Amino acid sequence: MVASRGFTTPRRRLVLVVLSGFTLLSLDLSRFGPLETVQSVARDVIHPVTSLVGAVLSPFSDAWNAVFDYGDLEQQNRELQAELDLLRGAALEVDAEREAFRRLLAASEIPYLGEVERVTAGVVRQGVGNFSADVVTIDKGSSSGIAQGMAVVTGAGMVGRVEQVDSTTATVRLLSDSTLVVGVRLASTDAVGLGSTVPNEPMVFRIDKGLDWPLDDDVSQLPEIGSVVVTAATSRYPAEIPIGRIVSVRRNEDGHSMEVMVEMANDVTDLSYVTVLKSEGVDQLPLNPVVPSTTAASDAGSS
Amino acid sequence: MVGSAPLRLFTVMMAGLLLQLTVFVDLRVVGVAPELLALFAVAAGLLAGPDRGPYVAFGAGLLWDVYLPTPLGVSAVVFAVTAYGVARFSEELFQESRLQVAAILGLASGLSVIGYALLGSVVGGSGLISFRMLGVAVVVSMVNGLLTPIIVPAVSWALEGKRVFQ
Repeated sequence: MVASRGFTTPRRRLVLVVLSGFTLLSLDLSRFGPLETVQSVARDVIHPVTSLVGAVLSPFSDAWNAVFDYGDLEQQNRELQAELDLLRGAALEVDAEREAFRRLLAASEIPYLGEVERVTAGVVRQGVGNFSADVVTIDKGSSSGIAQGMAVVTGAGMVGRVEQVDSTTATVRLLSDSTLVVGVRLASTDAVGLGSTVPNEPMVFRIDKGLDWPLDDDVSQLPEIGSVVVTAATSRYPAEIPIGRIVSVRRNEDGHSMEVMVEMANDVTDLSYVTVLKSEGVDQLPLNPVVPSTTAASDAGSS
Repeated sequence: MVGSAPLRLFTVMMAGLLLQLTVFVDLRVVGVAPELLALFAVAAGLLAGPDRGPYVAFGAGLLWDVYLPTPLGVSAVVFAVTAYGVARFSEELFQESRLQVAAILGLASGLSVIGYALLGSVVGGSGLISFRMLGVAVVVSMVNGLLTPIIVPAVSWALEGKRVFQ
């Protein structure tokens, strides 16, 4: 009798429900395979319906955006036109530099970004709910060869990494998530460090680990303001993906290391299409020691 | 009566999920989206009582969890507890007017947002607890409160196959 009365009151039933929830939570946190599969299948089944409903209802959300965001769109248009003009001029210069890079990297046997197989995908959905601003869903998944950990880029540079893969869609964690740490190389000094975006500032990338302040305070050894920062060969992503340009360099509070602030090349808050580099990432970054990646490249270049 | 209660509940939950994944990804009020599934959950608590309400809310939370970056179960637990709280609180009410129902469900939706952020942070979610969380909770409370005249009849139909507020 006691057993049959065990979960008869609403409060006890609530306890049962909550315990079930925490069991699911624990299983999901420990990456229990079958549970991930069930979620993935559910998303795959719902995806075509979502696409259809989205297409049918898009005029309503477009109308809403047209009414409330028209001023922003006009301003964005003007800024994009100005950027386009600049990029046209810079494209020729970049082509020439890229060829030089390719020769250097070939000598050091570091895989060049141009050799990595890639797949282009459209952004089908920004983050859902109110706490997923740093996540987007793309319209390609495991059926297109995409796997967890792959780097996601645009023509301007790195955007994020593939976080979750379903059959026909994938979730991308954007660099604007300040917990996403990337191993980077400063092009002007070849120094390698670790960085991430500043919380609530998606266009500002901070490198605060792995960079030593010059011993004799020799400012000529500091990275140049305006020089390029790219992914390091020791990072979990392919080498030489642009991150942005350095805007400031200062000594860290510990007195021995430096903090480099970088203006991101990409505005990850406004994406329509992205490219996934089909080079699988590793699970963990090589935290210590961080070994400079381009010593061989520099030698090859100077010889 | 149209179909069985579980089928009707699933239909209404799916409709809410689809709206959340399509229209309310773009259509936001000061950057905040309504939380339809949270509203569904607390409405189920109000209408189905402490006996059935938390179960229905748990199901709605699970469905929503499939799409959220936090681990499966966070919304489910929070929705179930909030629905139970709403059910218990509404038992004490002498009379339920539409305005009262809108206020209760709006406030409960806001509390579920805070609960989600707190539990999500405990299990490793980043950036959930901030001043923005309070702003989100306030806006969700107001917007969800305004949506109760649509959601409550839908949940009532799903639970009992009949309308309320007649």
